[in-house]
Amino acid sequence: MIVKCVIWDLDNTLLSGVYLESPDRPPAADPAMLAAASTLRDRGIIHAVASRNPPEAAAYAARITGLDFAAAECGWGRKSDAVRRIVADLDIAADAVAFVDDDLFERAEVSFAVPEALVLSPEDMADAVAWPEFSPGPVTAEARRRGEMYAQRRLRLQEARSFAGSRDEFLRYCGTEVTIEPATAADVPRLHELSVRTRQFNTTGQAVPEAELRELVASPAHQVTTVRLRDRFGDDGLVGGSVVSRGAGRDWTVTLLMMSCRAMGRGVIEALLAWLARSADRSGATTLSVPCLVSPRNMPLRLALAGSGFRAAESGPPDRPVAVFGRPVSGSPPELPGWVMASGAG
Amino acid sequence: MSGATAPEVTGELRDILVRATGREELGGIGDQTPLFGDGVGLDSLTGTLLLREVHRRFGVDVAGEDLNLDALSTLATLAAFIAERTT
Repeated sequence: MIVKCVIWDLDNTLLSGVYLESPDRPPAADPAMLAAASTLRDRGIIHAVASRNPPEAAAYAARITGLDFAAAECGWGRKSDAVRRIVADLDIAADAVAFVDDDLFERAEVSFAVPEALVLSPEDMADAVAWPEFSPGPVTAEARRRGEMYAQRRLRLQEARSFAGSRDEFLRYCGTEVTIEPATAADVPRLHELSVRTRQFNTTGQAVPEAELRELVASPAHQVTTVRLRDRFGDDGLVGGSVVSRGAGRDWTVTLLMMSCRAMGRGVIEALLAWLARSADRSGATTLSVPCLVSPRNMPLRLALAGSGFRAAESGPPDRPVAVFGRPVSGSPPELPGWVMASGAG
Repeated sequence: MSGATAPEVTGELRDILVRATGREELGGIGDQTPLFGDGVGLDSLTGTLLLREVHRRFGVDVAGEDLNLDALSTLATLAAFIAERTT
Protein backbone atom coordinates (compact mmCIF):
# COMPACT_ATOMS: atom_id res chain seq x y z
CA MET A 1 0.00 0.00 0.00
CA ILE A 2 1.34 3.42 -0.96
CA VAL A 3 1.09 6.20 1.63
CA LYS A 4 -0.71 9.28 0.32
CA CYS A 5 -0.71 11.40 3.45
CA VAL A 6 1.61 11.72 6.45
CA ILE A 7 -0.02 12.95 9.67
CA TRP A 8 2.52 14.63 11.92
CA ASP A 9 2.66 15.22 15.63
CA LEU A 10 4.38 18.56 16.30
CA ASP A 11 6.08 18.55 19.75
CA ASN A 12 9.43 16.75 19.59
CA THR A 13 8.49 15.31 16.22
CA LEU A 14 8.13 17.83 13.39
CA LEU A 15 9.35 20.51 15.82
CA SER A 16 12.60 20.10 17.73
CA GLY A 17 10.96 20.93 21.06
CA VAL A 18 7.65 21.62 22.78
CA TYR A 19 5.65 24.49 21.26
CA LEU A 20 3.93 25.70 24.43
CA GLU A 21 7.06 25.57 26.57
CA SER A 22 8.60 28.60 24.90
CA PRO A 23 5.82 30.90 23.65
CA ASP A 24 8.23 33.75 22.91
CA ARG A 25 10.61 31.62 20.94
CA PRO A 26 8.89 28.46 19.68
CA PRO A 27 11.17 25.56 18.66
CA ALA A 28 12.68 25.26 15.20
CA ALA A 29 11.76 22.46 12.82
CA ASP A 30 13.45 19.13 13.49
CA PRO A 31 16.02 18.93 10.66
CA ALA A 32 15.68 15.18 10.06
CA MET A 33 11.88 15.26 10.02
CA LEU A 34 11.78 18.36 7.84
CA ALA A 35 14.13 16.69 5.35
CA ALA A 36 11.90 13.60 5.29
CA ALA A 37 8.73 15.67 4.89
CA SER A 38 10.22 17.75 2.07
CA THR A 39 11.38 14.64 0.21
CA LEU A 40 7.92 13.11 0.51
CA ARG A 41 6.24 16.34 -0.62
CA ASP A 42 8.37 16.28 -3.76
CA ARG A 43 7.01 12.77 -4.41
CA GLY A 44 3.46 14.07 -4.26
CA ILE A 45 2.68 12.87 -0.74
CA ILE A 46 0.55 15.34 1.25
CA HIS A 47 0.98 16.34 4.89
CA ALA A 48 -1.36 16.91 7.83
CA VAL A 49 -1.00 17.69 11.54
CA ALA A 50 -2.48 16.04 14.64
CA SER A 51 -1.17 17.82 17.72
CA ARG A 52 -1.98 18.49 21.36
CA ASN A 53 -1.60 22.22 20.88
CA PRO A 54 -3.67 25.30 20.04
CA PRO A 55 -4.37 25.79 16.30
CA GLU A 56 -1.71 28.49 16.00
CA ALA A 57 0.92 25.77 16.51
CA ALA A 58 -0.01 24.23 13.15
CA ALA A 59 0.08 27.65 11.47
CA TYR A 60 3.49 28.25 13.03
CA ALA A 61 4.77 24.84 11.85
CA ALA A 62 3.49 25.50 8.32
CA ARG A 63 5.27 28.86 8.27
CA ILE A 64 8.68 27.62 9.44
CA THR A 65 8.69 24.36 7.45
CA GLY A 66 7.18 25.73 4.25
CA LEU A 67 4.91 22.68 4.18
CA ASP A 68 1.28 22.97 3.15
CA PHE A 69 -0.88 21.05 5.59
CA ALA A 70 -3.93 19.58 3.87
CA ALA A 71 -5.58 19.24 7.30
CA ALA A 72 -4.69 20.23 10.85
CA GLU A 73 -6.30 18.77 13.96
CA CYS A 74 -5.16 20.62 17.06
CA GLY A 75 -6.70 19.89 20.43
CA TRP A 76 -6.59 17.68 23.47
CA GLY A 77 -8.72 14.72 22.39
CA ARG A 78 -7.55 11.28 21.32
CA LYS A 79 -5.01 11.20 18.52
CA SER A 80 -6.88 8.33 16.89
CA ASP A 81 -9.99 10.56 16.60
CA ALA A 82 -7.86 13.26 14.99
CA VAL A 83 -6.49 10.71 12.51
CA ARG A 84 -10.02 9.48 11.70
CA ARG A 85 -11.24 13.04 11.11
CA ILE A 86 -8.32 13.80 8.79
CA VAL A 87 -8.96 10.59 6.83
CA ALA A 88 -12.63 11.58 6.46
CA ASP A 89 -11.85 15.23 5.58
CA LEU A 90 -9.36 14.29 2.90
CA ASP A 91 -11.45 11.37 1.69
CA ILE A 92 -8.55 8.94 1.66
CA ALA A 93 -8.36 5.37 2.92
CA ALA A 94 -7.02 4.81 6.45
CA ASP A 95 -4.41 2.44 5.04
CA ALA A 96 -3.04 5.25 2.89
CA VAL A 97 -1.95 7.34 5.86
CA ALA A 98 1.15 7.27 8.03
CA PHE A 99 1.09 8.74 11.54
CA VAL A 100 4.36 9.98 13.06
CA ASP A 101 4.65 10.69 16.79
CA ASP A 102 7.54 10.59 19.28
CA ASP A 103 5.23 9.50 22.09
CA LEU A 104 4.95 5.77 22.58
CA PHE A 105 1.54 6.02 24.17
CA GLU A 106 0.07 8.03 21.29
CA ARG A 107 1.49 5.53 18.82
CA ALA A 108 0.01 2.61 20.73
CA GLU A 109 -3.36 4.36 20.93
CA VAL A 110 -3.48 5.09 17.18
CA SER A 111 -2.18 1.58 16.29
CA PHE A 112 -4.95 0.09 18.36
CA ALA A 113 -7.81 2.32 17.18
CA VAL A 114 -6.74 2.72 13.52
CA PRO A 115 -4.96 -0.58 12.77
CA GLU A 116 -4.86 0.17 9.02
CA ALA A 117 -2.60 3.20 9.47
CA LEU A 118 1.18 2.97 9.29
CA VAL A 119 2.30 4.18 12.74
CA LEU A 120 5.90 5.38 13.00
CA SER A 121 8.30 6.89 15.50
CA PRO A 122 10.49 9.78 14.24
CA GLU A 123 13.35 7.24 14.18
CA ASP A 124 11.29 5.04 11.84
CA MET A 125 10.27 8.02 9.71
CA ALA A 126 13.86 8.98 8.97
CA ASP A 127 14.31 5.50 7.48
CA ALA A 128 10.89 5.19 5.96
CA VAL A 129 11.34 7.74 3.17
CA ALA A 130 13.17 4.94 1.35
CA TRP A 131 10.57 2.24 2.06
CA PRO A 132 8.37 0.98 -0.77
CA GLU A 133 5.28 2.42 1.02
CA PHE A 134 6.63 5.93 0.44
CA SER A 135 8.31 5.38 -2.91
CA PRO A 136 6.23 5.35 -6.05
CA GLY A 137 9.37 4.58 -8.11
CA PRO A 138 12.09 1.92 -7.84
CA VAL A 139 13.46 1.26 -4.34
CA THR A 140 16.81 -0.04 -3.16
CA ALA A 141 17.25 -3.53 -1.71
CA GLU A 142 18.10 -2.08 1.72
CA ALA A 143 14.98 0.10 1.72
CA ARG A 144 12.90 -2.89 0.75
CA ARG A 145 14.42 -4.88 3.63
CA ARG A 146 13.53 -2.13 6.11
CA GLY A 147 10.01 -1.87 4.77
CA GLU A 148 9.68 -5.62 5.22
CA MET A 149 10.94 -5.30 8.78
CA TYR A 150 8.05 -2.97 9.52
CA ALA A 151 5.59 -5.43 7.97
CA GLN A 152 7.09 -8.16 10.17
CA ARG A 153 6.59 -5.96 13.22
CA ARG A 154 2.92 -5.48 12.37
CA LEU A 155 2.48 -9.23 11.98
CA ARG A 156 4.19 -9.86 15.34
CA LEU A 157 1.93 -7.27 16.97
CA GLN A 158 -1.18 -8.90 15.56
CA GLU A 159 -0.05 -12.30 16.84
CA ALA A 160 0.70 -10.81 20.26
CA ARG A 161 -2.85 -9.49 20.50
CA SER A 162 -4.39 -12.89 19.97
CA PHE A 163 -1.77 -14.83 21.98
CA ALA A 164 -2.97 -16.19 25.31
CA GLY A 165 -0.03 -16.50 27.66
CA SER A 166 2.71 -14.58 29.40
CA ARG A 167 5.18 -12.31 27.69
CA ASP A 168 7.97 -14.87 28.16
CA GLU A 169 5.81 -17.55 26.56
CA PHE A 170 5.13 -15.23 23.63
CA LEU A 171 8.83 -14.45 23.17
CA ARG A 172 9.56 -18.19 23.14
CA TYR A 173 6.70 -18.80 20.70
CA CYS A 174 8.19 -16.18 18.38
CA GLY A 175 11.56 -17.95 18.43
CA THR A 176 13.20 -14.84 19.88
CA GLU A 177 17.01 -14.83 19.77
CA VAL A 178 18.96 -12.13 21.61
CA THR A 179 22.69 -12.25 20.88
CA ILE A 180 25.07 -10.37 23.18
CA GLU A 181 28.67 -9.97 22.03
CA PRO A 182 31.73 -7.74 22.41
CA ALA A 183 31.59 -4.87 19.90
CA THR A 184 34.09 -4.72 17.06
CA ALA A 185 35.22 -1.79 14.94
CA ALA A 186 32.66 -2.85 12.33
CA ASP A 187 29.82 -2.12 14.78
CA VAL A 188 30.91 1.48 15.40
CA PRO A 189 28.75 3.22 12.74
CA ARG A 190 25.57 1.52 13.95
CA LEU A 191 26.43 2.15 17.62
CA HIS A 192 26.95 5.81 16.78
CA GLU A 193 23.60 5.90 14.98
CA LEU A 194 21.90 4.36 18.03
CA SER A 195 23.51 6.95 20.31
CA VAL A 196 22.05 9.71 18.11
CA ARG A 197 18.59 8.25 17.63
CA THR A 198 17.63 6.47 20.84
CA ARG A 199 15.73 8.53 23.36
CA GLN A 200 13.43 6.30 25.38
CA PHE A 201 16.21 3.84 26.10
CA ASN A 202 19.32 5.93 26.57
CA THR A 203 21.01 6.66 29.89
CA THR A 204 22.90 9.78 28.79
CA GLY A 205 20.87 11.39 26.01
CA GLN A 206 24.11 12.40 24.32
CA ALA A 207 25.41 11.36 20.92
CA VAL A 208 28.79 9.59 21.00
CA PRO A 209 31.08 10.41 18.04
CA GLU A 210 32.41 7.48 16.01
CA ALA A 211 36.01 8.30 16.92
CA GLU A 212 35.21 8.07 20.62
CA LEU A 213 33.41 4.76 20.13
CA ARG A 214 36.39 3.36 18.22
CA GLU A 215 38.68 4.28 21.13
CA LEU A 216 36.28 2.69 23.64
CA VAL A 217 36.10 -0.54 21.60
CA ALA A 218 39.91 -0.72 21.61
CA SER A 219 40.34 0.29 25.27
CA PRO A 220 41.18 -2.51 27.73
CA ALA A 221 39.60 -0.49 30.56
CA HIS A 222 36.22 -0.53 28.80
CA GLN A 223 33.83 -3.17 27.64
CA VAL A 224 31.65 -2.24 24.67
CA THR A 225 28.84 -4.69 24.01
CA THR A 226 26.38 -5.15 21.16
CA VAL A 227 22.94 -6.71 21.26
CA ARG A 228 21.29 -8.22 18.21
CA LEU A 229 17.69 -9.37 17.95
CA ARG A 230 15.84 -11.73 15.62
CA ASP A 231 12.86 -14.03 15.67
CA ARG A 232 10.86 -16.03 13.17
CA PHE A 233 9.15 -12.87 11.92
CA GLY A 234 12.40 -11.19 11.00
CA ASP A 235 15.89 -10.01 11.81
CA ASP A 236 16.19 -6.60 13.48
CA GLY A 237 19.98 -6.67 13.54
CA LEU A 238 21.95 -4.56 16.02
CA VAL A 239 19.33 -2.97 18.32
CA GLY A 240 21.30 -2.05 21.43
CA GLY A 241 24.60 -1.61 23.15
CA SER A 242 26.38 -0.73 26.34
CA VAL A 243 29.68 0.75 27.44
CA VAL A 244 31.13 -0.31 30.78
CA SER A 245 33.99 1.40 32.54
CA ARG A 246 35.73 -1.39 34.44
CA GLY A 247 38.07 0.90 36.33
CA ALA A 248 40.28 -0.56 39.02
CA GLY A 249 37.74 -0.96 41.81
CA ARG A 250 35.03 -3.49 42.53
CA ASP A 251 32.35 -1.38 40.93
CA TRP A 252 31.42 -1.68 37.30
CA THR A 253 29.90 1.49 35.89
CA VAL A 254 27.70 1.38 32.82
CA THR A 255 28.54 4.73 31.26
CA LEU A 256 26.16 4.22 28.35
CA LEU A 257 23.18 1.94 27.91
CA MET A 258 21.00 2.28 24.83
CA MET A 259 18.43 0.35 22.84
CA SER A 260 16.29 1.06 19.80
CA CYS A 261 12.62 1.51 20.68
CA ARG A 262 11.77 -1.01 17.96
CA ALA A 263 13.11 -3.70 20.34
CA MET A 264 10.84 -2.54 23.16
CA GLY A 265 8.69 -5.17 24.83
CA ARG A 266 10.83 -8.02 23.49
CA GLY A 267 12.96 -8.76 26.51
CA VAL A 268 16.11 -7.17 25.10
CA ILE A 269 16.96 -4.52 27.69
CA GLU A 270 16.21 -6.96 30.51
CA ALA A 271 18.50 -9.56 28.89
CA LEU A 272 21.29 -7.00 28.56
CA LEU A 273 20.95 -5.87 32.20
CA ALA A 274 21.01 -9.49 33.42
CA TRP A 275 24.02 -10.24 31.22
CA LEU A 276 25.88 -7.18 32.52
CA ALA A 277 25.27 -8.28 36.12
CA ARG A 278 26.58 -11.78 35.38
CA SER A 279 29.54 -10.40 33.47
CA ALA A 280 30.44 -8.05 36.35
CA ASP A 281 30.11 -10.90 38.84
CA ARG A 282 32.49 -13.14 36.86
CA SER A 283 35.03 -10.35 36.68
CA GLY A 284 35.05 -10.00 40.45
CA ALA A 285 33.04 -6.78 40.69
CA THR A 286 30.56 -6.51 43.55
CA THR A 287 28.28 -3.75 42.32
CA LEU A 288 26.96 -2.67 38.96
CA SER A 289 26.08 1.04 38.67
CA VAL A 290 24.06 2.68 35.94
CA PRO A 291 24.13 6.50 36.08
CA CYS A 292 21.02 7.62 34.28
CA LEU A 293 19.71 11.02 33.27
CA VAL A 294 16.19 11.13 34.69
CA SER A 295 13.70 12.59 32.24
CA PRO A 296 10.06 11.89 31.34
CA ARG A 297 11.34 10.75 27.98
CA ASN A 298 13.46 7.84 29.15
CA MET A 299 10.96 6.66 31.77
CA PRO A 300 10.67 3.26 29.95
CA LEU A 301 14.36 2.74 30.78
CA ARG A 302 13.65 3.34 34.49
CA LEU A 303 10.91 0.71 34.29
CA ALA A 304 13.40 -1.78 32.88
CA LEU A 305 15.92 -0.91 35.63
CA ALA A 306 13.30 -1.24 38.37
CA GLY A 307 12.10 -4.53 36.89
CA SER A 308 15.67 -5.84 36.85
CA GLY A 309 16.29 -5.14 40.53
CA PHE A 310 18.17 -1.83 40.23
CA ARG A 311 17.59 0.98 42.71
CA ALA A 312 18.67 4.60 42.53
CA ALA A 313 21.12 5.74 45.15
CA GLU A 314 21.31 9.45 44.56
CA SER A 315 20.13 12.16 42.27
CA GLY A 316 21.90 15.14 40.77
CA PRO A 317 20.95 18.83 40.56
CA PRO A 318 17.47 19.67 39.21
CA ASP A 319 18.87 21.13 35.99
CA ARG A 320 20.61 17.87 35.17
CA PRO A 321 19.06 15.18 37.33
CA VAL A 322 21.24 12.11 37.13
CA ALA A 323 20.36 9.20 39.37
CA VAL A 324 22.80 6.36 39.92
CA PHE A 325 20.92 3.07 39.71
CA GLY A 326 22.74 0.13 41.14
CA ARG A 327 22.47 -3.47 42.21
CA PRO A 328 24.78 -5.87 44.00
CA VAL A 329 26.05 -8.59 41.68
CA SER A 330 28.06 -10.98 43.81
CA GLY A 331 26.60 -14.25 44.93
CA SER A 332 23.42 -14.68 42.97
CA PRO A 333 23.63 -13.26 39.47
CA PRO A 334 20.30 -13.23 37.62
CA GLU A 335 19.51 -16.11 35.29
CA LEU A 336 19.60 -15.40 31.56
CA PRO A 337 16.40 -16.31 29.72
CA GLY A 338 16.75 -19.33 27.45
CA TRP A 339 16.61 -17.25 24.28
CA VAL A 340 19.74 -15.24 25.08
CA MET A 341 22.91 -16.28 23.30
CA ALA A 342 25.92 -14.71 24.90
CA SER A 343 29.60 -14.98 24.22
CA GLY A 344 32.24 -14.73 26.94
CA ALA A 345 31.26 -13.82 30.45
CA GLY A 346 27.52 -14.40 30.07
CA MET B 1 -11.20 11.55 40.25
CA SER B 2 -11.43 12.56 43.89
CA GLY B 3 -12.48 10.69 46.98
CA ALA B 4 -11.79 7.27 45.50
CA THR B 5 -10.91 4.62 48.04
CA ALA B 6 -7.97 2.27 47.53
CA PRO B 7 -10.23 -0.76 46.79
CA GLU B 8 -12.12 1.20 44.11
CA VAL B 9 -8.85 2.32 42.59
CA THR B 10 -7.52 -1.27 42.67
CA GLY B 11 -10.49 -2.50 40.65
CA GLU B 12 -9.95 0.14 38.04
CA LEU B 13 -6.20 -0.54 37.94
CA ARG B 14 -6.89 -4.19 37.20
CA ASP B 15 -8.89 -3.13 34.11
CA ILE B 16 -6.11 -0.77 33.05
CA LEU B 17 -3.53 -3.57 33.48
CA VAL B 18 -5.59 -5.91 31.29
CA ARG B 19 -5.76 -3.26 28.56
CA ALA B 20 -2.05 -2.35 28.84
CA THR B 21 -0.93 -5.97 28.55
CA GLY B 22 -3.72 -7.31 26.35
CA ARG B 23 -3.99 -10.27 28.75
CA GLU B 24 -7.50 -10.97 30.02
CA GLU B 25 -6.31 -13.42 32.68
CA LEU B 26 -4.58 -10.61 34.58
CA GLY B 27 -8.07 -9.38 35.52
CA GLY B 28 -7.97 -12.08 38.18
CA ILE B 29 -4.67 -11.27 39.91
CA GLY B 30 -4.54 -10.50 43.62
CA ASP B 31 -3.76 -7.12 45.18
CA GLN B 32 -0.45 -8.47 46.50
CA THR B 33 0.80 -10.15 43.30
CA PRO B 34 4.19 -8.67 42.30
CA LEU B 35 3.86 -6.73 39.04
CA PHE B 36 7.53 -7.12 38.10
CA GLY B 37 9.09 -10.53 37.58
CA ASP B 38 7.34 -13.84 37.00
CA GLY B 39 3.59 -13.88 36.70
CA VAL B 40 2.57 -10.41 35.55
CA GLY B 41 6.00 -9.66 34.07
CA LEU B 42 5.48 -5.93 33.71
CA ASP B 43 8.14 -4.59 31.33
CA SER B 44 9.11 -1.25 29.90
CA LEU B 45 6.39 -1.37 27.23
CA THR B 46 3.44 -2.53 29.31
CA GLY B 47 4.65 -0.47 32.28
CA THR B 48 4.74 2.69 30.17
CA LEU B 49 1.23 2.07 28.87
CA LEU B 50 0.00 1.41 32.41
CA LEU B 51 1.56 4.58 33.85
CA ARG B 52 0.31 6.74 30.99
CA GLU B 53 -3.22 5.47 31.51
CA VAL B 54 -2.93 6.01 35.29
CA HIS B 55 -1.83 9.59 34.59
CA ARG B 56 -4.71 10.16 32.18
CA ARG B 57 -7.33 8.55 34.42
CA PHE B 58 -6.27 9.74 37.90
CA GLY B 59 -3.99 12.69 37.14
CA VAL B 60 -1.17 11.10 39.13
CA ASP B 61 2.32 11.20 37.62
CA VAL B 62 3.83 8.13 39.27
CA ALA B 63 7.10 8.26 37.32
CA GLY B 64 7.56 11.94 38.14
CA GLU B 65 7.18 11.41 41.90
CA ASP B 66 8.67 7.98 42.45
CA LEU B 67 12.24 7.63 41.15
CA ASN B 68 12.50 3.90 41.92
CA LEU B 69 8.92 3.17 40.87
CA ASP B 70 8.29 1.38 44.16
CA ALA B 71 4.61 2.20 43.72
CA LEU B 72 4.57 -0.44 40.98
CA SER B 73 5.32 -3.32 43.38
CA THR B 74 1.73 -4.56 43.47
CA LEU B 75 -1.76 -3.33 42.60
CA ALA B 76 -2.22 -2.55 46.32
CA THR B 77 0.87 -0.29 46.50
CA LEU B 78 -0.08 1.47 43.29
CA ALA B 79 -3.68 1.98 44.48
CA ALA B 80 -2.44 3.38 47.82
CA PHE B 81 -0.05 5.73 46.01
CA ILE B 82 -2.92 7.03 43.85
CA ALA B 83 -5.48 7.21 46.67
CA GLU B 84 -3.10 9.31 48.80
CA ARG B 85 -2.90 11.87 46.03
CA THR B 86 -6.54 12.01 44.95
CA THR B 87 -8.35 12.26 48.27
